[in-house]
Amino acid sequence: MEKNLIFDAGPLINFSMNGILHILKKLKKEFKGDFIITKEVYHEIIEYPLKIKRFELGALQLKELFDEGIIKYADLTGQEVDELRKKRNQILDISNSLYRAQGKNIHIIDKGEAAAIALSLVLKEPTALVIDERTARMLIENPDNLRKILQKKLRTNVTTKINNFKELKNLKVIRSTELIYLAHKKKLIELKDPRAYEAMLYGLKYKGCSISENEVQQLKRL
Amino acid sequence: MEEREHILKILKNVELALKKRNYTKIKSLSNNIVHNASISQDPDIISTAVIIYSLSKLLEREAYKDNRNWDKFYNQYIQHIKKANMALKKDNIAEFRQEIDLIRKLIQGLSGKLKDYIHDVFRKAKINKASKIYEHGISMGKTAKILGISIWELAEYSGKTGIGDVNLAVTMPLKKRIKLAEEIFR
Repeated sequence: MEKNLIFDAGPLINFSMNGILHILKKLKKEFKGDFIITKEVYHEIIEYPLKIKRFELGALQLKELFDEGIIKYADLTGQEVDELRKKRNQILDISNSLYRAQGKNIHIIDKGEAAAIALSLVLKEPTALVIDERTARMLIENPDNLRKILQKKLRTNVTTKINNFKELKNLKVIRSTELIYLAHKKKLIELKDPRAYEAMLYGLKYKGCSISENEVQQLKRL
Repeated sequence: MEEREHILKILKNVELALKKRNYTKIKSLSNNIVHNASISQDPDIISTAVIIYSLSKLLEREAYKDNRNWDKFYNQYIQHIKKANMALKKDNIAEFRQEIDLIRKLIQGLSGKLKDYIHDVFRKAKINKASKIYEHGISMGKTAKILGISIWELAEYSGKTGIGDVNLAVTMPLKKRIKLAEEIFR
């Protein structure tokens, strides 16, 4: 059965900024399925940065990956497209009214993240999400911990209606660092220096992958 | 404007800190705004946070202060902040926004090295405030949109801030996550 790996913008930007998109190509060859992005992610990783000189090169490299079909849009029927849009808006509505502070809803996610999550719910094949940023991952895996972070940082009481979001509980999330772990195990990293794997893990951490120092150390040892 | 009282209090404290030349206080006031900005996501609050943080950075560094246009720029910048404060006191939101917009135009009207420098200070101020809001629990995509910056800039900056090292953010044992990754690649 075909599988899908749905990418949020962060991991692709991270691979690009670290100059390791070629590893993503090799991982794609090993993967029995598609690396999928949404139109919102395409905008964030290619269309928008093409207008910023500092990120233009990275965007062009990602565009090539898209043109080659390494990353692609999901092959959806018209009905599934409608379902996706509906689901995305539903996720936005629920997640952005899930937490309240000072009598207001806290809007925590944007269309891009909501669309990636929605796509993983709409696709029939087994899927996993690749997300580097912290909030969307926590929303899926431990929304109460996210409430605790909000409460601590905002220095005010934050309430939640977590029961509204049971649908997300079964989604699978991995990060760019787990992809590099797989590349390491499959011997896809070309750099011969034994420090390359660790350097990549730190490169990804310092370019926005939400991973703790302890987890990096564990990944090194495994 | 939802947060008029809060902005008024902050601007009043900025003026006091300016008189005392307490630039660290100005920076900390801009961070105070972020708590409210993360909840309300009100563009007026966000603009105020960026302007105040930029002010602290402008005052902190000396390198460009011998530029012949610096004094004129700085005095106008402070005047616009004072006028924005007065407009808020009168509850004249349109005038407040006009003053904020005039600061933007003031920067656009600069030329030469000073323009490059001030532009850079403002760009970095936006990224700094975005990183703070992300740290508060708002997603990267949402934060980038609120501040009008790219996820590229935010990811690059926030990666160095230790956001991933917060214990509460470790939501699954690593071995379990690796198993998920291996299963999807099987």
